[in-house]
Amino acid sequence: MLLVLYVVFSNLMRIQVEHYQLFLLLGIILWNFLDRGTSMSIWGIIGKPSLVQKVYFPRDILVISTCITALMMTALEFVVFIIFMAAFRVVPGMTIAYFPILFICEFLIILGLSMALSALNIYFRDVQFIWRLVVQVGFFATPILYPITIFPENVRWIVMLNPMALIITMMRDCALYGIAPEPLNLIYVAVSTLIVLQVGYFIFDRLEPKFAEAI
Amino acid sequence: MVVKVKHLWKTFQIPHEKRTTFFENLAGLMRPRQYETFTILKDVSFEVEEGECAGIIGDNGSGKSTLLKIIANILRPTKGTVSVAGKMTPFLELGVGFQPDLTVKENIGVYATIMGLSRKEILDRMDDVIDFAGLQKFEDTKLKNLSSGMQVRLAFSTAIQTDPDVLLVDEVLAVGDMEFQQKCFEVFNRYRREGVTILFVSHDLGSVRRFCDRTLLLGAGEQRAFGGTEEILDRYVYDREVGSNDQKICHAKEEVTDSLNPKGSGNKKVTILGAKFLDKFGSERARFNSLDPMTVRIFYRAIKKFSDITFGISLYSEDGIYLYGTNTKIKNATISLTEGDGYIDLHIERIPLISGRFFLSLAAQSLDCQVTYDWIDKMYSFEVLQTGREGGLIEISCEWIV
Repeated sequence: MLLVLYVVFSNLMRIQVEHYQLFLLLGIILWNFLDRGTSMSIWGIIGKPSLVQKVYFPRDILVISTCITALMMTALEFVVFIIFMAAFRVVPGMTIAYFPILFICEFLIILGLSMALSALNIYFRDVQFIWRLVVQVGFFATPILYPITIFPENVRWIVMLNPMALIITMMRDCALYGIAPEPLNLIYVAVSTLIVLQVGYFIFDRLEPKFAEAI
Repeated sequence: MVVKVKHLWKTFQIPHEKRTTFFENLAGLMRPRQYETFTILKDVSFEVEEGECAGIIGDNGSGKSTLLKIIANILRPTKGTVSVAGKMTPFLELGVGFQPDLTVKENIGVYATIMGLSRKEILDRMDDVIDFAGLQKFEDTKLKNLSSGMQVRLAFSTAIQTDPDVLLVDEVLAVGDMEFQQKCFEVFNRYRREGVTILFVSHDLGSVRRFCDRTLLLGAGEQRAFGGTEEILDRYVYDREVGSNDQKICHAKEEVTDSLNPKGSGNKKVTILGAKFLDKFGSERARFNSLDPMTVRIFYRAIKKFSDITFGISLYSEDGIYLYGTNTKIKNATISLTEGDGYIDLHIERIPLISGRFFLSLAAQSLDCQVTYDWIDKMYSFEVLQTGREGGLIEISCEWIV
């Protein structure tokens, strides 16, 4: 997958980015984390009707545990990424310190989305299909394959409204290019993370009492 | 009060048209949703005190399991409140979360976690669980290779490792062989001694009688009664036959009064019009608790004055085995009939029957049994419900000498 994308985008589309292999790999790993976390969580509750109908425990445990599973899978992928970095002799600077903070933000966004999606999917069984489409569109609408600089200056802010676009760009900057994130962008990411998490939990809490009946 | 249930209502909505997807809901925005409401619990209130064992009985569909699920917090009440103080362990179903591909030991871990045990407690008690289930040889076998009985034993022995303050039991004892059921009872007795509050749903009136201090009777979602177990069980057994069984008796009586009774034989100088079974309160029943008093009332019609007569009964089991027979002559009751209608009672202080359906034959004969006036063969029946732990068809009064 990485190879195909690398060949297509570096040669055919002539994207000129320093360390494009690593740029692409990190973007894909981070986007996969979102994709995997939410898609697994959508099934987290509906896939276990016997548990939900027969014992009581706080239902969000199912979603949280699934998200942590996705987190661990992504952590493994980072090991591969570090090997690639060593192979290409890229040494991250002090700015790498921002990397975990941004990563936690991404995890919390995924958790918030998962909460809402897993609860909605019980009542509307096609949410999972709609969400697949959203994830696919998001993959191309987020600067993963290309740098944000391919957009003209005046529309960049629209793309950057998407917190995932900001997170991925900033994580790349701090890991590969030694550029520290701008404080304003960090604040924007933190605030949107909290909003997503809050809304996710709110939807989950509202729908939770009838899980056992609706499942 | 450990468990407090106040004015609990539960209503389910059954939509006529199922809308489970987002697009179906969008399309259906224009049309109002149509659904029927089904109220399964209506205004149920009761309290269970610490260390008490409360039984919940009622017919199928009377809301027993729903009530338990609401107390267990799986379903939420439509109206009303439920509060439970302390740690609660629901035994609603055994073996929730069992994975057929994991080994016995791993499954104990999984199940115990679901039941709310910590990792350390699980490791400490692993051997106890395996011993209790009798699965020492199979501890590393995959669950799918165990017999279903073994799986149930495993689930039960894991579940009892929890130290609950409140235990909810729903028909768990219905599965398993005799030995296993006995084990269950021992465990529940142990819990009772330890002062655990137990809520017990069962159809087995015998075990409810044995275990429960107080009992809640549900009927069609309504709280019929809550009080001492004996009283409630009596009420349950004697209350519910107002419908079908009475009709049977009436029906039988009509047939006889028509004197077109095909089963009757004899010269009809005395006709047996029918029989009624009366309970200890003097009302007519077709269902009795075992070892309760019963009166058989036999109605007759004589065409002239009679003194040369004896009434007899014989009792049969459901498969036609002749259990007992007696008549007025043997019991030294002399009777003389005047012309017209009347009745004669046979009082049984204690029905020495444990459980089953029993049939009664009635006869009116001359004293030397040479002339049969009327004979009705196995026309009347009543049912006996087991209330104690003794088994079988009949009771033999006995005691152990040690």
